[in-house]
Amino acid sequence: MDIRLDGVGHSYGDAEVMRDITLDIASGQIVCIVGPSGCGKSTLLRFIGGLERPDHGRILQIGTPPEGCLNPLTYVFQDFALLPWRSVFGNISLVLEDHGIRGKTAKAIIDDVLARTKLTDFASALPRQLSGGMKQRVAIARALAVKPAVMLMDEPLSALDSQTRELLMDDLVDLWTRQPFTAVYVTHNLAEAVRLGHKVVVLSRRPGQIREIVDIDKPLGDREFGDADLEAHQKHLWQLMRDEARAADAELLHV
Amino acid sequence: MIKFNRRRALTLLGGAAAASTLAAPAIAANKKIKVGALRFTSHSGSFIAFERGYFADAGLDVEFQFFQAAQPMAVAIASGDIDYAVTAISGGLISLADKGAIKVIGGALKEEAGIDGQKYLISSGSYDAGVKTLKDLDGKKYAVTQAGSSFHYMGAKMAEAEGISLRFTPLQKVGAIIGAMKSGQVDGWSIVPHIAKPLAKAGAWKIAGNVSDYIPDYQVTTVFTSAKNAANERGMTESFLQGFSRGVDDYAAAMIDKTASQDEMIDLIHKYVYTDRERAKAAPSIINGTMRLSSGAALNLASVQDQLSWFQSEGLVGSDITLDTLVDSSYVETTGA
Amino acid sequence: MSDISSKSPSDGRAVSFRGGGFAPKSRRWVGFAVFAFLILIAEWGTRSGWISALTLPKPSDVLVTFHELYQSGLLFKHLGLSLGRLVIGAAIGASIGISVGVLIGLFSYIRSGLVPVIAAIFPIPKIALLPLFVIWFGIGEGSKYALIAFGTFTPTVVATYGAVDNVDRTLIRMGQSFGLSWWSIVRKIVLPGAMPGILSGLRISFAIAIILLVAAEMLGAEYGIGAYILEAGSLYDLERLFAGVVILSLLGVLVSGCIGVIERRVLGWRS
Repeated sequence: MDIRLDGVGHSYGDAEVMRDITLDIASGQIVCIVGPSGCGKSTLLRFIGGLERPDHGRILQIGTPPEGCLNPLTYVFQDFALLPWRSVFGNISLVLEDHGIRGKTAKAIIDDVLARTKLTDFASALPRQLSGGMKQRVAIARALAVKPAVMLMDEPLSALDSQTRELLMDDLVDLWTRQPFTAVYVTHNLAEAVRLGHKVVVLSRRPGQIREIVDIDKPLGDREFGDADLEAHQKHLWQLMRDEARAADAELLHV
Repeated sequence: MIKFNRRRALTLLGGAAAASTLAAPAIAANKKIKVGALRFTSHSGSFIAFERGYFADAGLDVEFQFFQAAQPMAVAIASGDIDYAVTAISGGLISLADKGAIKVIGGALKEEAGIDGQKYLISSGSYDAGVKTLKDLDGKKYAVTQAGSSFHYMGAKMAEAEGISLRFTPLQKVGAIIGAMKSGQVDGWSIVPHIAKPLAKAGAWKIAGNVSDYIPDYQVTTVFTSAKNAANERGMTESFLQGFSRGVDDYAAAMIDKTASQDEMIDLIHKYVYTDRERAKAAPSIINGTMRLSSGAALNLASVQDQLSWFQSEGLVGSDITLDTLVDSSYVETTGA
Repeated sequence: MSDISSKSPSDGRAVSFRGGGFAPKSRRWVGFAVFAFLILIAEWGTRSGWISALTLPKPSDVLVTFHELYQSGLLFKHLGLSLGRLVIGAAIGASIGISVGVLIGLFSYIRSGLVPVIAAIFPIPKIALLPLFVIWFGIGEGSKYALIAFGTFTPTVVATYGAVDNVDRTLIRMGQSFGLSWWSIVRKIVLPGAMPGILSGLRISFAIAIILLVAAEMLGAEYGIGAYILEAGSLYDLERLFAGVVILSLLGVLVSGCIGVIERRVLGWRS
């Protein structure tokens, strides 16, 4: 299933936050969206996920979601959004219960996603007992449990320290390599973007518009920390963004 | 030139003060005292004594402190906030006497044959449901303000005489009881005639008997003071009783014996009682509320003893309390001892 | 930079400690010791006479009174009736309060309509409405349940909708993003998320229920701890008054303890 954004624009009151965004998200690809603060990256993600409605333009699902997909558009949140009163198992079972999946079937699914995210031993742990990285892996496991057509990832690694972030990026790459998934990945971290994105969409400052779409052809599995060609992409992206970021920063100060 | 220094001025003033209080039996001249009162006609003795200057004649500078209920007044005497007051004998009063805080020193309101007194009542709802006489109240709800109040005593004495048992229902306030009687939530009660009669006429309840028929010579209210005043301030206490008695005599002359102007008396009482109503409306209530206040603050010890014994038999106050603990009978004439 | 290894330790001063404190810990026995101390002072004062019998009863006499009450069997008659009133009244008030609080927390119209009403009835001294309750619900148990229920209702509502407001919105968005039904979100996210706030609200509500018990038993109660205290008060019988007050205090400690147990069981997920 593909996603197409067709001339999406939006304002909050008098403030126009994005303008005329047209973008295709192809199945099996990770599309990273980068841009300065306040350019509407997260808003765009909420439009795609149907949690907010844009003033202009349309968001289209093209094709049908794959077999067994429970929740085609599935979020992974920056702050994990785990229920603190449920165990790891319970947090994943939460999203299956409403689809009538309980008991053995649910356990099979949960065991599978826990194994894929290397959390099998922590099924009965409560969120407060887990580190930030593990919490985000639980959130990813939960997203995988509903077999999403597209994962909507809103700065999923921003709340983590840099070492954990590296480890989780490796995990995400592993997950994708074993079973490719479609994802829209919002981040302000360019290293993440060049490491995980098949496509990197650079947004301008407010009102957010597409500055450039950078394709990175190198297979995800071959990318590594400190690759020279990735560094070059990252440098290019930073040049695109630097002026925007500086202007956006000044703008915020003047507000 | 006359040397008119401060000392001489004071001597002169003192002489003048002494001259003006020669009539007083007491040591005190213009002694400030506080008298507790409820805005009821039964407290008229104090009001008259104040208005007509009888307290002043007795060398007392009286200041009234008004209360909403008798109970806090008794506590205020015990705490020394007020010096004298008039109220019904209740379990609380006896307990405070037992703790050495207060003494009964005289009598005030009493039931007397021939003068309209307190009434036993049956609520209209119960009356229609077949409770026609006081005897029919057997097992029914009988309203009291609190356990150990005078209402409790009156109800119990009636029940004893009729050979019935009542379910005493505490409702704290007279207003709440009137409401509960009107809506038929309780079955029986007793109250002073000026409340009993108008509402009986209005159909709220039926008057089923006189308290005086069940408790003859009932000493309803007494004059009391702190044990300290009774023991150590003899002069001041005698002065108070003297002023109070003159007020009571004037009240009886105007309202009962009709030897003085009733109108004038109503004008005076109206300054204190039913002040929220115009005089024309207040007058009937004041007249209806007329009851005998003991002349000379005489105290019926037999009635006090009977009340004390009843409170003791109910286990409401300690069984070892004697009449002497409660009463200092050295101030006024006593009967029935 | 100087070469630190060339200096002898005697040249240095120890850094003085200035941290610590500001972290009170619970020391259970201190509470008991304070109680014991106050009671002993009262006992000594009343025995030696510098506290008059009018001011305070002898603690030992209060104990004797309590023992007599226990032996006469009336203790359980009073306690049983009061507990019944307390449990039924508080249960009605708390359950309606929680339901209304959740509704206020969830629906704009209900919130706009009811919050001013709640704000208006919160400060009413419920005792003042007692005569009205007697007319509405009768002089029997009905008005007593109603008074206690009404008294527990308002603080429960306020605590509940505050707790619902404080439920992490990202958790609710998460539920929506996974396509959970409205009812599932309320049941599995909003209610458990609001539970800490609701329980701490109930602590206050139940304390108010105990306070109102005395008021509820002002009208037409022959038995009950409140009626017992009121009777003792009107008779100025300080021993019985204090015995009754001690029972109420114990009742408060008991209720608070029960909520503590529930909190530990239900809110074990909090650190």
